[in-house]
Formats: sequence, structure tokens, C-alpha cells
Amino acid sequence: MTMDDNKLTFDKITSDLTHHIRINKGFLIWMGFLTLSLLICLYAYSIQLKTGLGVAGIRDYITWGMYLANFVFFVAASLIGMLISAVLGLIGMKWLTPITRIAETIAVAFAAVAGLVIVSDMGRPERLAYVFIYGRPQSPILWDVTVITTYFVLSLLLLFLPMIADMAIIHRKVETLPSWLRPVYKVLSLNFTDQPAQNKIISRAIRILLILLIPAALSIHTVTSWLFAVTSRAGWDSTVFGPYFVSGAFVAGSAAVIIAMFFFRKNYKLQDYLTDMHFDKMGKVLATVSLVYLYFNINEFLVPGYKLKRADAIHLQELFAGKDALLFWAVQVGGLILPILFMLFRRFRKPLPILIISIAVLIAAWFKRYLIVIPTQEHPFLPIQHVPGNFIHYSPTLIETLISVAPFILVLIIITLISKFFPVIPLHETAQEKGIGHIKFD
Amino acid sequence: MRFNTLFILILIFTAGTRTSAQTWVVPDEQKAVVAPFKFTPDMQKQGEQIYLKNCQACHGLMGKDNWARLTPPPGDLSREKAQIQRDGEIFYRITTGKTPMPEFRNILSEEDRWWVVAYLRTFNPKYVQPNPVAKAAFTGRIVTLAMQYNDQMKKIVVTASEQLKDGQKGPAAGVEVVLFVKRYFGKMQVGDIRTTNAAGLALFEFPADLPGNKDGNVALTAMVNDPKGIMKTTPADAAFGIGVPTEKPGLTETRAWWSHRGQAPVWILLTYTLSVVIVWGFILYIVYSILQIRKLSKG
Repeated sequence: MTMDDNKLTFDKITSDLTHHIRINKGFLIWMGFLTLSLLICLYAYSIQLKTGLGVAGIRDYITWGMYLANFVFFVAASLIGMLISAVLGLIGMKWLTPITRIAETIAVAFAAVAGLVIVSDMGRPERLAYVFIYGRPQSPILWDVTVITTYFVLSLLLLFLPMIADMAIIHRKVETLPSWLRPVYKVLSLNFTDQPAQNKIISRAIRILLILLIPAALSIHTVTSWLFAVTSRAGWDSTVFGPYFVSGAFVAGSAAVIIAMFFFRKNYKLQDYLTDMHFDKMGKVLATVSLVYLYFNINEFLVPGYKLKRADAIHLQELFAGKDALLFWAVQVGGLILPILFMLFRRFRKPLPILIISIAVLIAAWFKRYLIVIPTQEHPFLPIQHVPGNFIHYSPTLIETLISVAPFILVLIIITLISKFFPVIPLHETAQEKGIGHIKFD
Repeated sequence: MRFNTLFILILIFTAGTRTSAQTWVVPDEQKAVVAPFKFTPDMQKQGEQIYLKNCQACHGLMGKDNWARLTPPPGDLSREKAQIQRDGEIFYRITTGKTPMPEFRNILSEEDRWWVVAYLRTFNPKYVQPNPVAKAAFTGRIVTLAMQYNDQMKKIVVTASEQLKDGQKGPAAGVEVVLFVKRYFGKMQVGDIRTTNAAGLALFEFPADLPGNKDGNVALTAMVNDPKGIMKTTPADAAFGIGVPTEKPGLTETRAWWSHRGQAPVWILLTYTLSVVIVWGFILYIVYSILQIRKLSKG
């Protein structure tokens, strides 16, 4: 089916973009599966709550294990909202319109869950509020919880504001809507009737949000990198950690957006709106941010590798040729260098190839965080003495793995719910861009 | 490869010889030293207090094997490896120390050190104390020290006086005096040992660059050097304003990165608070304008 602008009517766009808003069998099965998986993971967490953090593989030396790698990954993935909506949006890239909401949904889901991920690493989670009550303004930990909360609220508002007009349309025009949902959309639409004054408020609020989003997003991942970089440990003691993390975050986030685009396009039949062109462009975005990330990787490894200070030498030896070498080179080559090479060619930026590349990049992105967090702790400055063997080398336990899977399930649940009950592609904005113009509200 | 093996062997060999060179040898005559008095339960109790204050941080609680993980390992002193030593050996090691163990020569008195030995021995059921050997005979000299600072000479004047046979007090000549200054851990000797002159005076120069408290005060102790214990002596304590005035506030007493919340640097407080207020101000403004959308509806 090819897009024919002349034949497009407002009703056609509305039906194309909202026909998935209904409760069907597939949705129930998928949600049932997610809920069941989440329950299994929560059971694992209940064991940890009862028994203590000893059920995880973390010990005295490797105190930041998979949970922290997970945390960094979630903060990273949430950053994509800022790149797509704010940076590229403010530059005025028109092709982005159908992708912005997907990016914002991913940002909201990952930012919301990032805060929970850190709780999984807490022995006394009921003391979470102490971070605020007793937090020191000098500590990057307080900055981190502050900026993550702020970024989550900004992203949520940025997701909601462009949706107001959509919900006004949905509650009036979509006949297939389940009856009990209609009043919900009515409340959320805030009586929007496309008045110029209303549009003015919305566009001004969005503009403020987009501008605020850039420093907030840069802060969340820069501060997360400082949790590591403000120590003097080999592998963390780096002045490029901020941009290194931020560029790495764009890589993970762009890959996540491409994967989401592919599934929404297929399941919600959005081929007319998420076209091959969009995949091609997102492929170029992913290639660009990957190149920037590669540049920071070279800085991060070449400079200490050239100086080869004693502690750095031990750390780099383990990464390049030691115990972690297989994982390290798989991540660097399979998750960065090969994808960049493939994405230079147009044919690999078609939907299916770019999906496969993005999945590889996203998996590598998780393991990359694992490699940033764990190996450094296996080589402390003070020698490890008189400890049991399992204190020296970290290996995650099954319970720990299940607890680490839970946040992914939660993200999928949030993305599923948002995309199921709201148009994945901005309805009002698309209609306006297609020249259909002012919508008549009865 | 063969070269590497050879190299490693050489390394191991040299490391081995270095370790053996570093073993802590106690001279035989020191090993033979025995306590000048019979250990009593009272002394053992005192010794326990001294042990807990000065030794436990590294050696741990007796019999618990919870010594600090240092190299070389301090070890639990209730175990055979420590208890197999003679009293004189233990006493010598406490007295002289060997890095990383500090020397307690100027920190604990001789009596204190013997009390620690008495305490350590309570963990050895097989221990039988060798007969005490009293110190050399008391010669009858009873020496009292006093200390002053002479501003004109810029010197510390220690006056030794002793009881003469006729009951009168007079200057004590030919007495060896040693001067200490108190520091964070124990005492440090100032200058060399001096012998009092015919007037019973010993003069000490005080280094110009030693730090004092914020008023420049330093606490000094003058003692008679009497290793054989042939005199009855009274040391002199005094504090003079002759050090360099030094005001070093505690690490958490000033505003700093590492300090507690109440001592956060002002610029951090300002930056953090301002950023939060500005950003959340905008957020509240946006929430307010969203609520306005509802009111503007004409439908």
C-alpha cells in the first residue's frame, strides 16, 4: 500500500493511527505472559528481601554487580527522548514526527524503571527516602536521584502535551473505543477544542520542555558516569566519562527506538507512516552516534593504554587479553565496529537488516555496561587477602539474574500499555503536516 | 620463554632472601631479660587495659584470630607462635617496634610494657614466670626535675635537685636528662640526652619549626635517663608557647566536598538549589498552563 496524499482524509488518518486502541486477544496473551514473568522475578526479589543481598553474587570486593550495570543501561536507554525530540526536533527535522512519541515512550519507561533498578541493589530498600532526608548536596548520588526524577517528569510532560489534541480527537471520533475508556480520554483531553489560545499554550509549553530536556538529559547520564569517574580506580578514573556515557546512551537508545519502530509498524500496521525512509534515517542516526561513541572508546582505551600506569595495565590486560577479553571484543566488534560498517550501506538500513543490527547493538550495550562496572572492582588498589574464592571473582546468581530481568519486563509493560491505549504516532500533528489543517470539533 | 622462567626464578630467589633479611631478630641478651617483679592479677588487669588501647587495633582480641589484615600479619598473640617467645623477647618487641609496628619505648613506661606481657601470659596455661630479677641496687639518690623556658637564651632549662644527706635540698649534678615533646601518638625526643652541670642544670634548644597548638603551645616532659633504675626520680611536665602556632581544624569542621551535609561548600549549595528551583519552577509553570487549557475551551 503506497501513500497517496491526495486521497488522505482526516478520517483515514484517525482510523489508521487509532485502530489498535482496543483490547484484543493478542494483547491479553502478551500482557498475561509479561505479568507471569514479572511475578516469577518478584518471587526472586522476595527471596532477596528476606535473606539479604547475599543471595546475589556481589561480595565485599565486587559490591556493584549486575544491578548497577542494569541501572546504567536503563539510564542510558532513557536518554533517547532528548536526542530525538529535543536535539533533532529543535533543529527542525520534519521526518521525525512519527518517531517522537516512540522515543518519548521509551524515555518515560526506562527513566521510570531506572529508579527501581537501583532499589534492587539496596539491602534496606525501605530506607530509600533517606537519600533525600540525609543526602549530601556534595554527593553525585543526590544529584543522580534529583536529575533522574526531574528528567522523568519532563519526559512524562513531553509525552502528554502533544497527546492532548489526540485524545480530544479519539474520544469524539473513534467509534470502536471500549465504552469504559471514553470518559478517561475525555478527562485527559482537558476539553481541548483546537482554540488558538489552547494551541499557543501547548506549543509554548513544549518548547520550554524541549529546551529544559537537553541539560536535564545531559545531566542524568553525566552524573551517572560521575558515580564512577569521581573515584581514582583504574577503568573509572577518566575525564571523558561524561561524554563517553552520553554518546553510548545515544547508541543504546537509537537501537531501542528502531526495534520499537519495527514492532509497532508490523503489529499496528503503520507501514504508511513508518516508512523505509524512517528506518533509513534512523539507521543514519544510529551510525552517526556509533561513530561518536567509537571515537570516545578510542580515547578511553588508547590514552591509558599508552601511559600504562600500573593499575591501568592490570585492568586493560584483563579486558584485552585476559578473563574478560572474549566479552570485551564481542561487544566492541559485534556491537560497535561491525554495525558501523554495515550501516554505511543503504541496503542494511532497510527495516529488517537494521532491526537485526539494532538488536545486536542493544545487547552489546548492556554487556558494555557490565564491562564498565564489574572488572574494575576485581582489581582494587589494596590487595585482596584472606578471603574465600567467591569474593575475588564475580559471577551473578540465578536469583540476581531474575531480579535483573524484572526491570526489562516492567519497561515492556509500560511501553505496551502506552502504545496500546494511545496513538503510537502523533495524530493531530500528522494530520496538520499532511495539510489537512484545522480539525473541526463538533 | 626460558628467559622468563629464569627471570621469575631470580625474582623469587631475591624476594626470598629479602624476606629472610627482614626477619625480626632479638639480641640474645635482650631475650634473657626478665621482669623486675612478680606478675599479679592486678597487673594483668592493668595490662589488659593498655592492650585494648594500644595493641588491639592491629592484633585483635586475644584468642579470636581477628587481627588486622596487614603484611606481615600481626597475628593473634595468644597463639603458640607468640607465646613460645621468652618474656624478654616480647618486651623487646614492644619496646623497639618494627615497621609497621610502632615502637612503644616513649609511649608506654617500662612498667606498662611489663604489665602488657603479664596480660599476654594469662592466655598461656603452661606459662610459669621466671624468677624476677630486681633492678640494680637503689643508690639512694632521689632526684626531682623542674623545667622552665628562658626567653633570653631561647633555651629550655631543666633543673635537677636532690635530697642531700643532711635533709636539705641541693642541685643534682651529673644526672642524665632526656626531653620529650608530646605529639599525636606518643612522645618524640627533643635533642640529645644532656647531663646536668654542677648547678644541676641541663639546657635544651627547642627546634624553631615544630608545630604547637593554635597558641603555639607545646607539652614537654623532662625525665631522668636511668635505665638501670638506681634512682628514685620525678619527671617534670610543662607547656610553653615556643612552637609554631598551628590551627588545623578537623576534617569535618570546615566547608568541604568531603564534609557532612551541614558543611557543604556554599557554591555547591547555591548551584544545586538554584538548578532545582529553576527547573522545577518551569515544571510547575507548565503544569499550571496545562490546567489553563481546560478553562479556555469554548466547546
